[in-house]
Amino acid sequence: MGMDRRDFLKTCSLLAVGGLLFGCRKNALSEISDGLAGRIPDERLFEEEVRLALSMSRKELDLVAVPMPKALETKGEKSPNRFGMVIDMAACNGCGKCILACNRENNVPLVTEEDAARGRFMHWIEIRGGAPFMCAHCGSAPCEKVCPTGAASHTPDGLSTMMYKRCTGSRFCGANCPMQARKFNFNDAKSLGLSRQFNKEVPLRSKGVMEKCSLCLHRLQDDRLRFKTESAVAPGASAEWRGRGVKTACMEACPRKAIVFGNWLDGESPLVKAVSGRTLYAPRSLAPFDPSVLFLMEGR
Amino acid sequence: MAKLLRILGAVLLVPGLMALCSALQVGPASWFTDEKSFWGMPICLFVFWIGLAHAGTLLSAVFLALGVRLDRRTALLAELSTLCSLSLAVVFPLVHLGVIENFYMVAPFVDSRGIFANAGSPLVWDFCCIAVYGLLSFLFFHNHLSSRNVPAQEIIRKPFAWLLLPLVLWVHSVVSLDFAATFVPEWQGAFFPVYFVVGAVYSGLALVNCLLCAEGYRVRLLEKLMIFSSWFIGVIWGWDYLTKGVFFTWAFVFAGLLPQLLWVGAVRDSRVGRLLVGLSVLLGLFLERLYLVSPSMSELPSLGLVDLGLVSFSAGFFLLFYFGLRRFVGCFVDEGGTFFGDVDGSEMEEDLSATEPAEGDEKYVNPFSSREFRTIRLPLLLGILAMLLFTVWCLNVPDTDLTLVNMLPLTYPVLALVAGISLWVSSGVLREISRRVLLVVVMFCVLFGVLAGIFFVGYPSEESGRQIRSLSLTERENNSEKEKNTERDIGLSSSALLWNARCSSCHGSDGKLNEKFVREYYPVPNTLTLSRLDSLGEDSLYQVISRGRTNMNSYEGRLTEKEIRGLVRYMRFLAGEE
Repeated sequence: MGMDRRDFLKTCSLLAVGGLLFGCRKNALSEISDGLAGRIPDERLFEEEVRLALSMSRKELDLVAVPMPKALETKGEKSPNRFGMVIDMAACNGCGKCILACNRENNVPLVTEEDAARGRFMHWIEIRGGAPFMCAHCGSAPCEKVCPTGAASHTPDGLSTMMYKRCTGSRFCGANCPMQARKFNFNDAKSLGLSRQFNKEVPLRSKGVMEKCSLCLHRLQDDRLRFKTESAVAPGASAEWRGRGVKTACMEACPRKAIVFGNWLDGESPLVKAVSGRTLYAPRSLAPFDPSVLFLMEGR
Repeated sequence: MAKLLRILGAVLLVPGLMALCSALQVGPASWFTDEKSFWGMPICLFVFWIGLAHAGTLLSAVFLALGVRLDRRTALLAELSTLCSLSLAVVFPLVHLGVIENFYMVAPFVDSRGIFANAGSPLVWDFCCIAVYGLLSFLFFHNHLSSRNVPAQEIIRKPFAWLLLPLVLWVHSVVSLDFAATFVPEWQGAFFPVYFVVGAVYSGLALVNCLLCAEGYRVRLLEKLMIFSSWFIGVIWGWDYLTKGVFFTWAFVFAGLLPQLLWVGAVRDSRVGRLLVGLSVLLGLFLERLYLVSPSMSELPSLGLVDLGLVSFSAGFFLLFYFGLRRFVGCFVDEGGTFFGDVDGSEMEEDLSATEPAEGDEKYVNPFSSREFRTIRLPLLLGILAMLLFTVWCLNVPDTDLTLVNMLPLTYPVLALVAGISLWVSSGVLREISRRVLLVVVMFCVLFGVLAGIFFVGYPSEESGRQIRSLSLTERENNSEKEKNTERDIGLSSSALLWNARCSSCHGSDGKLNEKFVREYYPVPNTLTLSRLDSLGEDSLYQVISRGRTNMNSYEGRLTEKEIRGLVRYMRFLAGEE
């Protein structure tokens, strides 16, 4: 060991610099992405990916009966709205048209082949137990409780929302969701040429943030703005916005009308009409968290 | 020996750095992540190293506080290993993040729009507790070193240990809450804090024993404690198995069964034997954390090159950093090598006798009139006051989740922080530091504060007023004034001033969004394009300004009708209307 300190330090720093340079080299992935930058995938690819996801879907969905969702309180105030959905398991045949519609509405990106082989899709809706399953927008959402930055938060209207710009990608929310409804952007879909902006109203998410079903938040916001403007022009028509007439993309796409979106607190909402007199179900592991997206079963 | 280990560290560091760079570049896709929890190697390494980081200070502080004599060399080694592990551990949460540049959002600061970190999240508690722990560990170590030269400072060592002992337990309990506060079935259980603390102590003992092997001497007490910890953690694993059916076979073999070899005299007395047992415990506990972080994994996960590289990075970094620092501090502070325990076997007997408890020659002193208590009295009072102030402040911050339950995990760290710093200052350490160093430190703090302030306040996307000057608005205005009667309107330039004052914080002074806004919030405001403004029409824009929109505040009562109409015209101007 005839090495003095000077040589030792020199060797160490050379090795460290070498390592750093090697790590910063242009690797195969970035070469691909350079080639793909700005490339927009074909629509057909999205359809194919949905078919692949359908073939890999999970079979089990353990449902228990739950009461009808009630008004939520935020900062001591009760909101007049709580949006949610109900999925009729009897009507649904698991065709997967809702997934494609959702992907197109919300610009959900494709995934790489390795991810697809592991079943790690970005789809906000996935088929479980033969019916679509998405984020249930729980009233006391476990994901929001652990989010360190407050990027996952609740709107007064009962939506569990994501502030993408505030998300630091700790994935704590994903770990705490009992049903794994949250999807993580492992890849920079844009530079890999995997994302396509079908809908200008929804931003493309960057690499490293969490995302999930937003209950078509942008449609609700558009409707609210329209309502506000109208009531400003002709005041006195209707005092409160209840989100009537808004439909989510999956609801519109469903050929068998198995998905119904609406306001749980509005008696005139199609949602409340659809569930009257029937028992509501929720996945067993979500039932304690007061979910807003529920299920109906045959004949009950 | 130390030189050899430094070289080993450097060798391990090279592939480690490559893996680290690739992990930073590619992101979380590059290593194995659990299907269920999205977590993987970085979190596993974080928990592992933070456990090791609790070893030194805990051992040193516990022994000191409980009156168990541990010789200074061993205590210093342990404290140094704490600092090294801690500085290594904090790297991994950063690696783990999806958007690393947003890490500061975890810190509990109110940002420019009043958005606060979620005080209910265990990660935020983690962030604060570990920061406090790191600082106080450093001060403890510094005091230990400097009291070697200035024996008068020795007096705060024991009171400091009293402060640190609960803090160590506290911090590791908070780390365990990262897991226990979630709804993942495998991570639930009220015993998790105990589990993590025991795991930390156990791994820390193993690390210190390994380091002692490298030094060439042994401390019987630490070996006995290690065996005892292995039984303790065995009981907890048994409990885990009985309640949840979770059992980590390999962890049990390496960290539960193999350490029992210390009962065999031949193994115990051989340096290699002790080293192997220590390494086996570390390996077992590492595997245990890997299993724990990935609950959906049944077999050994498919670890990739980056995973292994990160492990190699952590081992290499620790070896290089620890033995480098050990040498540096040893040269810097002490004249001889014995300070950190460069001894051969001949001195072992003497070391052993030094670790024996002292004979009971001291006479009884009332604890509340002891010298140590009198030292800590004032700092402790300051700490309690700071804690109470903090509590009152928390409960009065509007619109945050700083409820009593959420800030409870931070109470003791705040107390310890204030008490520890004031204790350290009261030891007269500042008198020892030269003026120049002090000045540099103060300047650095001020500079850091200023930079942090600039960072949090943000910057406008374009200099206010530049728009007005560059487009020579005043001229245009004069022209237009000549053309039409503008009695009822306010001028374009005053609208521009109004825009810069009222609207530019979000919409940017050029109408193209403020950078700061885009960085932090969603949904972002719309860019002002002429087609959009046309489609909305003047009246509708007027309504939006006066009544507010989804994320925009209402300006009714704050702006007059004329001013709003002026703003609408200015918007059209910004959008490019000639």
